[in-house]
Amino acid sequence: MARLIKTKKEVEGRYSETWVVVEEDALDQWPAGPLTTVGREATRLDGAERARGEAIYTADLIFPGMLHAAILRSPYSRARVRALDLDPALDAPGVRAVLGPDELDALTDEPGYVGAPVAAVAADTEAQARAAVELVSVEWELLEPLVDPDEAVEQESFLNEPRRYERGDLDRGLAEADAVVEAEYRTQVALHNCMEPHGAVCRWQRDNLEVYISTQFIWGVRSDVADELGLPEDRVRVVCEFMGGGFGSKNGPREHTYVAAELAKRTGRAVKCFNNRREENLDAGNRNGTIQRLVAGARADGTLTALGGEFVNAVGYRGFSASTSGPMQMLYACPNVRTVENGAKLNMPPNAAFRAPGFVEGTFGLECLLDELAAKLELDPLELRRKNHTDSDLVGERPFSSKNLIECYRRAEPHWERRHAVRARTDGPWKRGVGLASQIWYGGGGPPSYAWVRVGSDGRVTVVTAMQDIGTGTRTAMAQIAAEELAVGLERVSVELGDSARGPYASISAGSSTTPSMGPAVRAAAADAARQILEIAAQRYDVEQRVLSLKNGHVVSANGGSWPLEDVTDLLDDGQILGKGARGPNPTGMRVLTFGVQVAEVAVDVETGEVRVERVAAVHDVGRIINPLGARSQIEGGIIQAVGYALTEQRIDDPATGIPLTRTLDAYKVPTIADVPEIVTDFIDIPDEHLTNLGSKGLGEPPIIPTAAAIANAIRDATGADVHSLPITREEMLRALREARERVRDEVAAPTA
Amino acid sequence: MRLPASRARALAGGTELVPLLRDHLVDAETLVELRNVVPRGIDGTTIGAGTTLGELEVDPEIPKALREACRLAASPQIRAMGTIGGNLLQATRCWYWRLKFPCWLHGGDRCFAKAGAHREHAVFGNEQCASAHPSDPAAALVALGARLRTNERELAVEELYRLPTDDDRSTTALRPGELILELEVPAPDASTYLKAMDRKAFSFPLVGVAAARTTSGTRIALSGVAPIPWALESLEDATPLPGTAYKLDIARALVDRALTEVGG
Repeated sequence: MARLIKTKKEVEGRYSETWVVVEEDALDQWPAGPLTTVGREATRLDGAERARGEAIYTADLIFPGMLHAAILRSPYSRARVRALDLDPALDAPGVRAVLGPDELDALTDEPGYVGAPVAAVAADTEAQARAAVELVSVEWELLEPLVDPDEAVEQESFLNEPRRYERGDLDRGLAEADAVVEAEYRTQVALHNCMEPHGAVCRWQRDNLEVYISTQFIWGVRSDVADELGLPEDRVRVVCEFMGGGFGSKNGPREHTYVAAELAKRTGRAVKCFNNRREENLDAGNRNGTIQRLVAGARADGTLTALGGEFVNAVGYRGFSASTSGPMQMLYACPNVRTVENGAKLNMPPNAAFRAPGFVEGTFGLECLLDELAAKLELDPLELRRKNHTDSDLVGERPFSSKNLIECYRRAEPHWERRHAVRARTDGPWKRGVGLASQIWYGGGGPPSYAWVRVGSDGRVTVVTAMQDIGTGTRTAMAQIAAEELAVGLERVSVELGDSARGPYASISAGSSTTPSMGPAVRAAAADAARQILEIAAQRYDVEQRVLSLKNGHVVSANGGSWPLEDVTDLLDDGQILGKGARGPNPTGMRVLTFGVQVAEVAVDVETGEVRVERVAAVHDVGRIINPLGARSQIEGGIIQAVGYALTEQRIDDPATGIPLTRTLDAYKVPTIADVPEIVTDFIDIPDEHLTNLGSKGLGEPPIIPTAAAIANAIRDATGADVHSLPITREEMLRALREARERVRDEVAAPTA
Repeated sequence: MRLPASRARALAGGTELVPLLRDHLVDAETLVELRNVVPRGIDGTTIGAGTTLGELEVDPEIPKALREACRLAASPQIRAMGTIGGNLLQATRCWYWRLKFPCWLHGGDRCFAKAGAHREHAVFGNEQCASAHPSDPAAALVALGARLRTNERELAVEELYRLPTDDDRSTTALRPGELILELEVPAPDASTYLKAMDRKAFSFPLVGVAAARTTSGTRIALSGVAPIPWALESLEDATPLPGTAYKLDIARALVDRALTEVGG
């Protein structure tokens, strides 16, 4: 029976209260450990399609008569359009329509950052559209931009009020400490550089709008677009079947959708509006840079007495101030914590969520600081983490729904133990070391999410849901869940997803929430279909339903008797069984989080500053693992992305004008295959017994969170050098090495008593 | 044999020219495909300018400095198309130049990199322009004392390059319509090329060091440190910018290692 409840939904640490309709989730969790299909490796259902180039991404779509739109973007960080003449563009070859800044909210005549959309052109070909954009005549009034984060702090240019958190008394905690370390950490602007750029194709079918879009949130786009255009939501259809990466930057419609929709309306034709790679490096969102001034105090035995931090998130012209302070507040059992966090407003491209926003940056600062503390106290870094483990959530003053971080530390021991042998493999200028870092993040997901499971007369199963698979392999995981619940082989299950007109509401694929939100809904739908099958079988074979169950593709009676599933479904003729399921509510009074630890081995050439990450061991606690192969791929992808974040990725801006200078993939350096370390993964794989009928948490973000800190800590272990900023370029490494040498020299010259 | 007059560009592998055309950094009315005009292939110490980096990379007769410079350049896909002749004529990767800031190298009056972001830029020859030359093979060929034969003359590889000046902002000395046809690369007693880059692959040199020892001594040339491939006399001559000083630490280490490797 449907129930209406109010529940707390969490996405990336941001909580909102929401009304949801839920079915009672009456299913017991499966036992822990690998089952028939769930918990066993499964290759991606769509892997071959993607690898062969058969998968059609939004960027691949071609419709008859489709036009291409290009956007005129501001070349200045802060300017006003005094005059704009679109006629030269309108007269250009192939151009069918133009849009000025006063004709669309998504366009502006007062750009606040380089790349801000000002005008748009639709033409027969992309080349014609882009050429026409160059012809638009604009008279700019240049204004003085604010582009430096330190200056923004000085001028108090903030997006909103400072975010403060306090527990206990920081000053007293520092006074109680036997050792105090203080340091400033800086992290860079990183760009998502999704393989598939941002963009959409819009097509009107009379009063109905079809939006084909590369997105992480089909239903969010649907409601945002309907709202913006003043349409009833069911007149907007959003489609995204294959998606080439988002990492948080594709959570909403963006300017491409509105530009395409408006131009499609005016021309009566489908319009495609996509970024090219340069635009992806300019105005597609970013992980903002941070400045972190941190302090930590502990007793001689390593017990933390104080953690404090002042955080500046250099958000940009718009965006949100992520919780860089989160790890400091949440990870450890420190009684005295104080954090102040500001989001600086600058004339720089707006940020966007990027795979664990805030926590990646904050974990770097916190975990490096803790290792500096461990060094000062002459304590083992792993022991320091264990010593300060907290059994309950000190921020929300609640228990955790499940936490196996101590087990993660235990499983990290053999990897940590390798440090003696690793250090000994120093050769010539190459020094080697090992470092570790803890991870904390969200991942509980929440309602609403719905799924249908259709069983045809041939006994084959289709999972139907209008969710998106952003490359995380959730399509395959959903199939596994349905296969397990219906006791059929995975090869008999297919998944239809990606179309709001052809499936029920699904959650956003962000905040590590798809598996924990959609998975239980799929299981509930499969269970509903199973129940209906057994109802039919009971009547067909004249048995009581309660002695029947599904096993190995058969309907099985506890009193003997076994019939192939198809014999039952065959009775349907051309009909089908439709099971429906919904995500139940989240556990109340508990905090649902994910945990982990990573151990990195690095080699540093102390003469040239080259850093090589040779091995990363990742131990993660994310509840039940649905697909160990898919989960391992997620860990590997997250770690590779983290290696890029730690060592080579940075958006470089001209300091005088704020103009971003790294626009292409030769300049913005993501890792190559040659940069990938050996990666060893270990999943705790204990279901969270309080969380849904699956006990699974999300895994999308945890793997990227602790890696940079583990690498920096390994560098300290190898060389004694303290890295305080990311990325760890040659110049940063050489600077840190020089500082370490000078420190040693000073200590030798004037040893402390 | 002559290229048709102005607004015609020679095209071989296209790995540099096509991006430059696409970004409107060069223009052309006509592209002249060089396949049947410029020799390709290796014959003893003579290398056709149309030989790809990929072909040079795997030939054991090619001196190690050149082989390594090719192997460490770009990516396998680019090396399969890019020719050694074209590689020598690459333009700088300086982001100000590539984004068409009206900089000095483009004919304007200031170098934006000097006061701006310049971590990838020059430590030598940077009085007017701080751009860095991105070619690995060029440094190797300078160290090896290689010579070029064009359709008009013969010259040392070093003479192909010039520091840009107020009246002439180009970094190469090729005349209009002049084509590099062949390279003459004498075999050294020993040679090597060591490269420092931001990733393990697919990156332009932060600092590349080529060393070649012959009976007349050891020559060293550097990539990534000056607007042109830099025949090194002394690291003490360097004029680093605040953001490029780190390159000297790297150069020092790599020069030491290169000298140790080639011995003598």
